[in-house]
Amino acid sequence: MAQTQPPFLTKPLKIALIGNPNVGKTTIFNQLTGLNQKIGNYPGVTVDKKTGAMIYQEQVYHIIDLPGTYSLYPNSEDEIIAHRVLNQLSEIEKPDFALMIIDSVQLSRGLFLATQLIDLGLNLAIALNMADMAEKSQLEIKTYELFKQLGVPILQTDARHLKGMDQIKELIHQQNFTNPGPFIEAKEFLDNSQLQDVKEYFELSNDYQAYQILRFGLKDKGLSEEKRSWIRKKLETLTINLEAAQLEETKIRYKRITEVIEKVLVKKSHQEVGSAPLDKIFLHPVLGYLVFGGILLLIFQAIFAWASVPMDLIDGFFADLGAWLSSTLPAGPISDLLSEGVIPGIGGVVIFIPQIALLFGFLAILEDTGYMSRVVFLMDRWMRPFGLHGKSIVPLVSGVACAIPGVMAARNIGNWKEKIITIMVTPLMSCSARLPVYIILIGLVVPDEAIFGIFNLQALTLLALYLLGVIGVLVTAFGLKSILKTSEKSFLMVELPSYRTPRWKDVLLTMYYKSRTFVTEAGKVILAISIILWILGSYGPPSQMDAVREIQEEKLAAASSEKQIAEIEAETSSLLLENSFIGILGRGIEPVIKPLGYDWKIGIALIASFAAREVFVSTIATIYSIGGDVEDDLTIREKLDTQINSNTGEKTFNKPTAFSLMVFYVFAMQCMSTLAIVYRETKGWKWPLIQTVYMTALAYFAALLTYNIFS
Amino acid sequence: MTADQLKISHSAIIEDLIDSPLKVNLMELGFLPGKKITLQFKAPSNGPLAFLLENTLLALRKQEAALLQVKIIS
Repeated sequence: MAQTQPPFLTKPLKIALIGNPNVGKTTIFNQLTGLNQKIGNYPGVTVDKKTGAMIYQEQVYHIIDLPGTYSLYPNSEDEIIAHRVLNQLSEIEKPDFALMIIDSVQLSRGLFLATQLIDLGLNLAIALNMADMAEKSQLEIKTYELFKQLGVPILQTDARHLKGMDQIKELIHQQNFTNPGPFIEAKEFLDNSQLQDVKEYFELSNDYQAYQILRFGLKDKGLSEEKRSWIRKKLETLTINLEAAQLEETKIRYKRITEVIEKVLVKKSHQEVGSAPLDKIFLHPVLGYLVFGGILLLIFQAIFAWASVPMDLIDGFFADLGAWLSSTLPAGPISDLLSEGVIPGIGGVVIFIPQIALLFGFLAILEDTGYMSRVVFLMDRWMRPFGLHGKSIVPLVSGVACAIPGVMAARNIGNWKEKIITIMVTPLMSCSARLPVYIILIGLVVPDEAIFGIFNLQALTLLALYLLGVIGVLVTAFGLKSILKTSEKSFLMVELPSYRTPRWKDVLLTMYYKSRTFVTEAGKVILAISIILWILGSYGPPSQMDAVREIQEEKLAAASSEKQIAEIEAETSSLLLENSFIGILGRGIEPVIKPLGYDWKIGIALIASFAAREVFVSTIATIYSIGGDVEDDLTIREKLDTQINSNTGEKTFNKPTAFSLMVFYVFAMQCMSTLAIVYRETKGWKWPLIQTVYMTALAYFAALLTYNIFS
Repeated sequence: MTADQLKISHSAIIEDLIDSPLKVNLMELGFLPGKKITLQFKAPSNGPLAFLLENTLLALRKQEAALLQVKIIS
């Protein structure tokens, strides 16, 4: 097989990387492709399609990083993709070769998948990774013997320590992949005479492929309806019990693998390897939870401390850019659109990057060290009563910083129902964008006093709001659990891998690619909504808007001091907003929000802050014509405290209204970035719409209740 | 007996797997007749169980562990 690629070959060869979870496949992928990676989508599923270009000896090779799987039997969307690509069902993603990565310590489990690939007829090579761990475990693998047994090229690598990477590149370059013929014949576990027409219809070369398609083809929605209905019809006439065949296949395969292993594996020591001493603490019924709590605290501390610096910089940069544009470009609608609509819109997307990157950085570290699956182990029991999975803890915890990475992290959950519930409830966790709203409202109505000598009343209120969010999560999840129906069985089978130090390159690459995915995929929707909201907020019926401008200009002409001018300008922006389309909408919804204790000015802020919660503060500042530095909490607070509600004649921000608003913001969706990311993760508008309606309704009724309790 | 009834640090040999849609999933992870498993950790309040199976720690819920018919060896 050793032959160099002919120079006239222009289409790059495609090599699929495949392996069990936790075998270092991603590290190898990163080493081969570095920054030449692309993340796309597979049709019909939410699995990221990770591809990359490897350049070696002036040749370009296409590397596909398939999701980790234990077998070709697809249980989750991830595994459906592995199944689809390796069965060569998709013309576009058809790999020329497959490189199977095996954890040297877990040889038999790796060989299970490897021999299935051989039986599919793929041209294969095997990299025995984690050679260092095998050595530590006193295991020696006779690679030449393994090569003789399987008939497939074998390499030994240690990706963490960058050993064997050049050999992999060279192997790919030499196209040193082979298929030795079936490891197990399909006829050993089923009657293959019934597979003939399947092979003909799908143009397959062997029985094992035909059996795979019959058994699992219907699980793959990427297959055309024509082919699916053909399979359905075929299944009706089939007299083979495919499930029994699958069990039989598994037994025979493992039996034969055991025979191979006896020949190739040398145990230098018969001492049994126990689990890591760290697990005595991390999995301890009490200490385990304390450690987890401590780690969470550390992460949030870091996110709040570190993310705020770049976020302020981004905020400042886009504000300056907007100001610079409006002063440089000739005045007019285009200049306004750019400086007040597009630039802040882009800023609103970019501002999330520090949080997303940091959160995914921490998640990657936890995942990479092997700690994350310990958390799943500890939390599963407490998640299940609410229809959630142990894996739901990651999205929920992320939600306290920002729902966006949380929703993105939900895709690791294999069970459809548990995944949807997790996505639906994650935005109810109080994220960091709610904090400015909480703080300003608490400052208005809750006295800065201590009760019982130690607890600060304001801090307690803040804590209560966070807890309210958690209660919302649990109640909603519990409700969805009984509403949503699925035939999928929920199960937990998870490997708790050995502890390892994180690979910083992989962590950095995860941060980079996750942020990029967010910007490119959710960014479009966010930008579009920002621009629409900006247009609604800056334009109104021309007659009204012009009238306001005229009156204010006259006032301005009469103004004498700078202070007066500033006051008039602030008043102008307030009046313009009042008469804009958003202002009209705000007045329009007043009858609806009146029972919550809000006047139309708050209504405007509610609509405007649909883009993002923190916009509430700046809109309130504009509409009450506060002017000046809106970042200064105290100024806003003092001004707000003097506002009078035109309906009741009382203070606008009295206790009932402020608490009602706080509760509203605990539950309301009010974040189009979340909306956009839920759209992306659920592949449609159905769930994000249900979620928005539900959260808004929940917010409304909870706020109504709160208002009535306090007034 | 089944694997969910094991006590911590007890080892057992898997004798058979009870029929269920999850049987194949257990088998592909390496839970096969003849293999030795040791219960290492239990999450509190009937939470998941962590078994040592050939150098790997694998977590199962009780209901999945109940699919493994085992014979205690120590």
